[in-house]
Parts: sequence; structure tokens; C-alpha cells
Amino acid sequence: MAIKNDDKLKDIEAIRGHFESLGYICSVEIATAVFLAYHLEKPVLIEGPPGVGKTELAKTTAEMVDLPCIRLQCYEGLDESKAIYEWKYGKQLLYTQVLKETLGEILDGATGLAESVDKLHSFGDIFFSEEFLEPRPLLKALKAEESCVLLIDEVDKSDHEFESLLLEMLSDYQLSIPEIGTVKAIPGKKPLVFLTSNNTREISDALKRRCLHLYIPFPNAELERQIVRARVPDIPPKLNQQLVAFIQELREMDLKKVPAISETIDWARTLILLHSESLDPELVRQTLNVILKFQEDVETVQSELQGVTNRAIKAT
Amino acid sequence: MTELHDTLVEFVQVLRTADVKVSPAETLDAMEALDIIGIENRVLLKNSLSMVLSKNPEEKEAFNTSFDRFFSFNKFSSENNATEPDEDTHQDDGEFDPESDAPNQQSGQGGQGGGQGGGGGAEASGELDFEQLEAQSELGKLLLSGDRMEVMIKMAEAGRQVEVNQIVVFTQKGLYTRKIMEAMGLKGLQDEVGELQEEGGRPQMHLAGQLKGARDHLREQVRDYVEKQFFLHADESGKQLREELLKKVKLSNLEKRNFKDVQEIVFKMAKKLVSIHSKRRKTFKRGQLDIRKTLRSNMQYDGMLFDLKWKSQKVDRPKVMCICDVSGSVSNYSRFLLMFLYSLAEILPKVRSFAFSSDLGEVTRLFQQSKLEDAMAKTMRDYGNGSTDYGQMLADFRSHILKDVDSKTTVIILGDARNNYGDPKSEILREVYDKAQRVIWLNPEPKSSWTVGDAEMKKYAPCCHQTEVCNSLVHLERVVGNLLRVAV
Repeated sequence: MAIKNDDKLKDIEAIRGHFESLGYICSVEIATAVFLAYHLEKPVLIEGPPGVGKTELAKTTAEMVDLPCIRLQCYEGLDESKAIYEWKYGKQLLYTQVLKETLGEILDGATGLAESVDKLHSFGDIFFSEEFLEPRPLLKALKAEESCVLLIDEVDKSDHEFESLLLEMLSDYQLSIPEIGTVKAIPGKKPLVFLTSNNTREISDALKRRCLHLYIPFPNAELERQIVRARVPDIPPKLNQQLVAFIQELREMDLKKVPAISETIDWARTLILLHSESLDPELVRQTLNVILKFQEDVETVQSELQGVTNRAIKAT
Repeated sequence: MTELHDTLVEFVQVLRTADVKVSPAETLDAMEALDIIGIENRVLLKNSLSMVLSKNPEEKEAFNTSFDRFFSFNKFSSENNATEPDEDTHQDDGEFDPESDAPNQQSGQGGQGGGQGGGGGAEASGELDFEQLEAQSELGKLLLSGDRMEVMIKMAEAGRQVEVNQIVVFTQKGLYTRKIMEAMGLKGLQDEVGELQEEGGRPQMHLAGQLKGARDHLREQVRDYVEKQFFLHADESGKQLREELLKKVKLSNLEKRNFKDVQEIVFKMAKKLVSIHSKRRKTFKRGQLDIRKTLRSNMQYDGMLFDLKWKSQKVDRPKVMCICDVSGSVSNYSRFLLMFLYSLAEILPKVRSFAFSSDLGEVTRLFQQSKLEDAMAKTMRDYGNGSTDYGQMLADFRSHILKDVDSKTTVIILGDARNNYGDPKSEILREVYDKAQRVIWLNPEPKSSWTVGDAEMKKYAPCCHQTEVCNSLVHLERVVGNLLRVAV
């Protein structure tokens, strides 16, 4: 594959470096996935808990190689007319109306039904040509001239039928439209495809087989500190350390929804806004709703707040 | 690259025995990935292969263990002169022991270089020539940089040649070790050592000693390798064999130490059922008209509404009520039935379970909230005593639970129907039969003894839609599978 800026994808360290300069701190695994995706021309299926930066990875990749990012958000009931293409019915109707007037001219000189039909046939299926085709994300991605990054977000939210629909696209980078034929990606300009899944249901084997599989877990403390530093540059190092230690401990607890990286970042921003230099139990109590999204969880943590906070403070 | 690919194929085989599903297409992908990333960087290799071959968290874990075991040839460069050659028939090693005054062409290479050279010699022994002392050390140096993989590949190759993956029992290890050594060219090495020793001379002796040391070291490595192969192949396939057996064995004959295995099997079976049945399509042919969708999709017909779209109807999951006899003789069966049903929570969310030996009690919450083992133990403690009384159970069922039974409920009764000559009260079961969608009686005893002694199956059977013998995991799986097929 040769897309522009492909030198940025030449090795794993380079990828990590470029990601970092864009504020996306990633582990070696993630960089390896991007590297392989590009060189093997394979889609990447990204799984992991919500808020670890799955979608962000695709967007950052697009930014890195300076290509458009075409996003297809999946939901229940998504079908091919929303994902691949649709005929522009309105336009078709309008054109028929307009052409009705000129029908006489076209059929001029034809006698009998057979001849008229023959004459009409010679015009071909103009109403089912690309002119009347409304491309949806998948088709758009295939036809992108400069290649692109295609993000199929939350594929687990779609139906099983839709998954099957994706298979042709993912394995051969082509789509079949009955009236027109098969649309293939421009050779050498195949889109970089990322699929994300929150694991609300098992993705079918057929789809998994066609993808590289990347599992992004919660980051370890070190990585998370780097991420916070990259995203919230004016955070004091001490606060950063305490905050990450606190979050890491929360993840060990039995919560309905454990805080993800996005919550850590939100929390860091909140604390900066409040001009705090370090954690203290009272402050944590007041801002707990930034990182915990269920009242149940807030209550669970409240009871152990003192201890956890103290441990987090001690960690520095 | 081909030998690398062969190694990879072997690795894939290992993965498959470790329950990682790898398709041929994925194997091809892995080869392609291998060509791109090379083998120099172990971490990179592991990450990449992991991405291509294992596709969910459990598989990733299995992959990691397998990878570490399979590609674990890491100690080749360790000290090799520590091992005393035990079966050495040639000369003693007095000649090279005083390393300190051994001549010096080699001192430049340093200690570890010597070890490496020996290793290299052992492999390429066929072509070895004693005159090329330096060249060998060169090989040692070469090995030092790219060594582990190289040696490992050579060994794996030899292993493949002698089909070490066919190893089944522990006692074959010695045999395979020798075979591999021979395939790697042990004879050439022995001959050369002999020659060197005949020639005599200090450097020769030194080299011979090194070669011998390397050979012994290699033998250790090969033994290690064979052992690992044994664990990779025989152990796992042994496990598969055991699982197959366990599936068929009568549940009451299971011993406590097998419970863990069985639990695993149950989870696996349940997972299979879940994946089959959760893909069921929804029915679109009935229900409410979806006006928006209909208008939208009929635009292409000039707004003529002739392709109607319906609001999708939620599939009704079966309501299952499961009544389990937990008296001594049958408790084991109940345990596994309940285990099965609760592993299916994803597609059978509405399971209510009851336990009895005489009085009936609901244990649904218990099983939802605590671990299976604890729940089972508590159930046994609370309900497991007393003689079995099916009549009492049915009476309790009528007074407390029958009101919740509707035409979508499947009632499963698991028990041997041995009522100690009490009143069977089969008329109550008849009532249940009339109200419920289905009544299934699972009996762990063989059909021939269903009417012998105090067994009341004859009276109960007409009040059931289905009666089944159920005494092994295979039976259980079939019953639960049927339940899903009909009811969903």
C-alpha cells in the first residue's frame, strides 16, 4: 500500500513517536497493530472496556497520516442503505418527470412496441448509474482517491446481518452493487480500516478471522500518568501521580462501571480548574461524580474514600 | 523462510490444542506478518502473532502461555562446562580443565564466546574442521547475535523430522531425545571429537573438550525441548481425551477431584449453546407497523406502500422453572443441571430454581448471588436432609408457585421419582401440565428401573410432555439444547 505520509508508518517506534506528538500515548501493542494493519492491509478489530481510546486511535491515525477519517457509527437496525449506498429516489423521480416531455423525441420514428423498447434499451440503465447513487460511508471509503481511514464504530451494536454485510468489504476491499457491479478500492489506496467493539456481544468468528485483533486494556500507572500529562499538560506532577494512583485503586474495586482513561482526564481537568495542588479526602468527595457515573458506585467508594485517598497521597 | 513457516505451522497446532481457534487463513496471515516483522524482536513477534492468531481475551491468555512455552529456547548460551559428561567413553577431561593456561588464540573471544562456539560446532558438526578454530569462534560470535532462534529452529526441524509431536506418554522422552540428537548430526560430532582426540595436541584437545561440553549441553537442551513438547502436545491432547470421557461418564460416578474439569466442560458447552442460540434471527412478520421505516423504504416505489416494515418483536426467552431433587442419590445431577442453566444466563435470563427433598424451597437468589460451589453447599444443607417426598413437593409447588406458571413456562423436574411409597399426587402435576408450556422430567436412572420398587415414573410420565434419561453431560447438553431450540 502506498498512501501519502507512509514514511510515518515505517516502523513501530516511528509510529509511537508520531502518536505521542499528537497527544496519543500508546503501548507497543497498539503501535504494532497500526503497523501491521498498514503493511498486511488488514482491518483492525479493537476491543476493550469503554473509554480506553479505541475510537481515538482511529482518529489519531487519520490525523497522523493526514487522511480523512470516515466514520460509520453502528446501531441496531443499521442496514446497507445507511452503510453502503442508496439510490437517490427523489432525483430519479424528478428526472423521469422531466424526461417524460422529451419521450416523444427519443421515440421519434419508432413504430410498434418492439422497436420503441429497443430504442429505449439503447439508452442503457441511466437511472441506475453512479449519477443516481448516494454513497454511504463504506462506499465512500472505497472510492476515496487519496485513501482514507475508515472507522466502523461500535460494531457490536449492529445486527448479525450487518456483520455479514461487512465481510466482503473487510476481506477484499470491494462492494457489490447489483445494478452497477463490483466497486473495488483503488489499488494501493486501500482504506485503513478500524472496527471498535465494546464486547456487549461476541463478534462472529467470520468477522474476527478477517481482522487483526487488538485488545486495549486499562493502562498501567506509568502509561496512564503519561497520558494525563499529554492531555492535561499543566497538571503538577505530584497531583498527576496521586490522581492516577487513586484511579488505579478504584479499578481494583468492585464497581458497576470502573473509571476509564477519559474519566481520569476529565477529573484531572476538573482538579486543575479547582486550583488544587494535591488530593485530599474532601476534594475527592466533592468531585467523585466526575469519575463515577452510578450513585451505587459513589456510595461504595464514599465509605472507603478516606483510606484510598490516603494511600494515593502516600504513593507519591 | 520456509523452515520458519514450518515452525509457525507447528505453533498453530499447539495453539489449537490449547483451545485457540486458528483458521488456515489466519495461519497464512501470520506467515505474512512474520515476513514483515522478522524474528529478531521477540516482543514484537509475540504481539504481532497474538493479534493475528488469538481473537478474544481468553484466547490471548492461552496464546501467551503457549507462546512462552513453545518459543522458550533461551538458555543455550549459558555455561556449558558445568555438566560432567556422564556417559563419555572417551578420554577424561583433564586436558582442558586448566583453562587458564590454555592457549590463547581464543582468549580474544572471551568466555562466553567459547560456549557459543561449542554450540555452533555441535550443530554444524558435519562440516566441522578442526583447523578452523577461529572460524568456529566466528560462528560462535554469529550465534551470539542471532543465536536462540537459530538453534531453536534447528532443533525444531530435527524434532519435526522425528515427529516429536506424536509423543504420547512420559516414558518416551528418552527415546525422542536420542532421536533428535541423531537427526541434528550427533554422529558427525562424535566422530569429530574422536578424531580430535586421536590427533592429540593441545588446541585440538581443547576444542574436543569444548565440543563435548557443548554436546552435553545440547543434550540437556534437547531433553528440555522434548519435555516441553510433551507438555504441549501430549498433555493437552490428554486433556481433550479426558474431557471427552468425562462428558460420557455417569455424573453420580464423578469424583470430587473431577469437579473442576467438569465445571470447565459445562462452561464450554454452555458457551457453545449460547453462541448458537444468541444468533437467532428476530421475527419481523408480526407486530406493530413501523410507519417511519415503511415510508422510508417505500420511497423507491414512488411512495406506494407495498413493502411493509414491522417493528421488530422481541424474542421471548423461555421462562424456565427448574425443580431439583437434592436428596443424596440425585444431588450430583442437580448440581450439574443447575450449573448448566446458570451458565446460560445470557440466553436464559429467567431461570427460577427450586430444591427439595421433601419441602420445596426457592434457591434462585442464592444461585444468582453466590458462587456455584457455595450455593450448592448451602442448598444441600438447607434442603438436602429428610426422605424424598414428591407428593409434598408438588403440594408446595401448587400452593406457592403454580400461579406464576403460564403458557410460556417450561418446568423441568429432575429426580428419580422414588417416593418411598408415599402418595405421588400426580394430579397436581397434571395441573402443572395443563398450565405450562412444557413439563420435562429428567430422570437419572435408566428407563428399565423407572417402574421398579418405589419409583413412580409410571404415574408421573403421562403428566409430562417429555421424559428423558439424563445421567451424563452429553445428555444434559442435549436436553438443554432442545429446550432452547423449541422454546426460543
